[in-house]
Amino acid sequence: MPRFQFNPPTLRKIRRFQSIRRGWWSLVVFGCMVVASLFAELWVNDRALVVRYQGEFYFPGYSDPLPGATFGLDYAYETDYRDLARRFAAAGDGNWVLMPLVPYGPYTTDLRDDAFPPFPPDWRQRHFFGTDTVGRDVLARLVYGFRIAILFSLGLLAVNYAIGVSLGCAMGYFGGRFDLFFQRLIEVWSNVPFLYVIIIISSIVVPSFWILVLIMAIFGWIGITWTMRTVTYKERERDYVLAARVLGASHGRIILRHILPNTVAVIVTYAPFSVSSGIVALTSLDYLGFGLPPPTPSWGELLAQGWTYMSAWWIVASVVGAMVVTLVAVTFIGEAVREALDPKRYTIYE
Amino acid sequence: MTAYFIRRLLLIVPTFLGITVMVFVITRMVPGGPIERIIVQARQMQSSLGGLASGPAEQRQPLSEDQIERLKAYYGFDKPVLVSYGQWLAKVMRGDLGTSTRYYDPVWRMIVERIPISLYFGILTLLMVYGVCIPLGIAKALRHKSGFDNVTSVVVFVGYAVPGWVIGVLLLVLLASVWEIFPLGGLTGDDFPDMALGEQVVDILWHTVLPLAAYVAGSFAVMTMLMKNTLMDNLAADYVRTAVAKGLPFRRAVFRHALRNSLIPIATSFGNNVSVVVSGSFLIEKVFNINGMGLLGYESVVERDYPVVLGILVVSSLLFLVGNILSDLCVAAVDPRVRFE
Repeated sequence: MPRFQFNPPTLRKIRRFQSIRRGWWSLVVFGCMVVASLFAELWVNDRALVVRYQGEFYFPGYSDPLPGATFGLDYAYETDYRDLARRFAAAGDGNWVLMPLVPYGPYTTDLRDDAFPPFPPDWRQRHFFGTDTVGRDVLARLVYGFRIAILFSLGLLAVNYAIGVSLGCAMGYFGGRFDLFFQRLIEVWSNVPFLYVIIIISSIVVPSFWILVLIMAIFGWIGITWTMRTVTYKERERDYVLAARVLGASHGRIILRHILPNTVAVIVTYAPFSVSSGIVALTSLDYLGFGLPPPTPSWGELLAQGWTYMSAWWIVASVVGAMVVTLVAVTFIGEAVREALDPKRYTIYE
Repeated sequence: MTAYFIRRLLLIVPTFLGITVMVFVITRMVPGGPIERIIVQARQMQSSLGGLASGPAEQRQPLSEDQIERLKAYYGFDKPVLVSYGQWLAKVMRGDLGTSTRYYDPVWRMIVERIPISLYFGILTLLMVYGVCIPLGIAKALRHKSGFDNVTSVVVFVGYAVPGWVIGVLLLVLLASVWEIFPLGGLTGDDFPDMALGEQVVDILWHTVLPLAAYVAGSFAVMTMLMKNTLMDNLAADYVRTAVAKGLPFRRAVFRHALRNSLIPIATSFGNNVSVVVSGSFLIEKVFNINGMGLLGYESVVERDYPVVLGILVVSSLLFLVGNILSDLCVAAVDPRVRFE
């Protein structure tokens, strides 16, 4: 079987993308962030990475919860590993606990006897970005919230593209009454204040992840459909489509084998901007309280907390910092992709 | 050309009907309307009045069937959807948007009270955005890939990527709460009525700074990049090269030839501002607790105050549709090559 290889024009585009340093490094940084968040259990977790107890190793990170009795403690609920680490260190008989870098999960509340949350950033307690108003670690919630937001926007992207690409292609290719009908429908649809409808819907049903994706997709398909329609419309007039037609190719074959590959550039260019708008949309909904139900970790919910308890500046500062890094990286990637696929030569006067 | 605009104006009608029918049907189909709210209120009142003695009375329906029927008739919920839509539309045609089910005020008056506030921010934002974007875009285009261009690009990209209301939250927490330079929201201070006129103006301006910054941050990026990119396209065009080649001073070539053509896309988007200016951003209004159109619309949706929801929908969708046509008119006005047919 021949090894899969990109054809030379595609390779050239990829190389052009890599030569745009700002976009390429944004992709690297963003890729690292996504991978790091997908393996968040390994570095942001209230369960220990490794526990050495009486000559045996335990790896509680991805296993079922281990009761405290496993480690000679007097309770049957899940072990408090931060406490266990302190005990082992105090006893000093060869047992040890290796905690992740951030020893708190997204739902762990860190309660103290002498103070009330929110606690400011504290490196000794390993609350690098402080805690929120109920004592949960901000960094942990940022990381797990990022993971949800990214998966959300990718899911939304998939649904939107499935609808948008097929419908847009059909509209552009078949034209006529079919096109006209959906044009009017889109005009009405895009004038309906979509956030209002989403708020109404999500105040009736408590949205789960996929319900929220579907609700957002009800209005999200318009942009890509419109773009695909225009592009297909242009492609349809090209000679190669006529040639395929003369050779007896069916509509399905023309669309799938000839037109779609020629519109990939548009689809790819659109993707980063859809991802960033997906993140923003989820954050806005969560901020208003119509997104994923609490206590799901989310950036919008953190922003709402920071907005209510303004003296806890570290909450808002870390969320906005995370948003700036993420969204700017995604935007740079998008700009670089656009530049790589459709390079423009500018005249510069000296 | 005139025929084109008349046709566009006529096309407003079906689109407007489509939008309002959709939202009207949605408000009908979802539970939690005004009647259910009244029932809940009555139940609460009953249980608080009855106290311990009433016992199982909380389980009982607080309103009789007859009362519920009368309420349904009052809110027009007793007829089929399309019939009551027709009645609602007939009232709208006569300029009556109904009364709020929450405040029992006429919807029209509520909207008219809020418009000046959103308009104030909208116009200021517009002035700031155009005042900043056009010069900045020109400067960036002329110094493409210089240090100045790269530094301002970063600012522009941050403004483009991060939504305005998030920047608003950050500004509010840092500048109003931690450093206490600016007020925490609202449009006027507590002792506003007692101030002299001059102090009142200063007070309002003081409260304007942060929300205005959030509004501008949210929208100036797109404009700046649009200005820069179109000017650069035009600078690369043959007619500018010809102008420079025949000995026209560069400055003149840019400002007399390239710039005039580059303003066309900016003019295109001008008409869309009509609806933005009036309806405002409800997220920014919520963050800064400004009582404008956006916040009114948001609260009416959350509280299921359907007459207000529909009233705002009527106003904003009409403005939006008219704004679209206005955009085309702007294009036709600035670009004599454009022929609509």
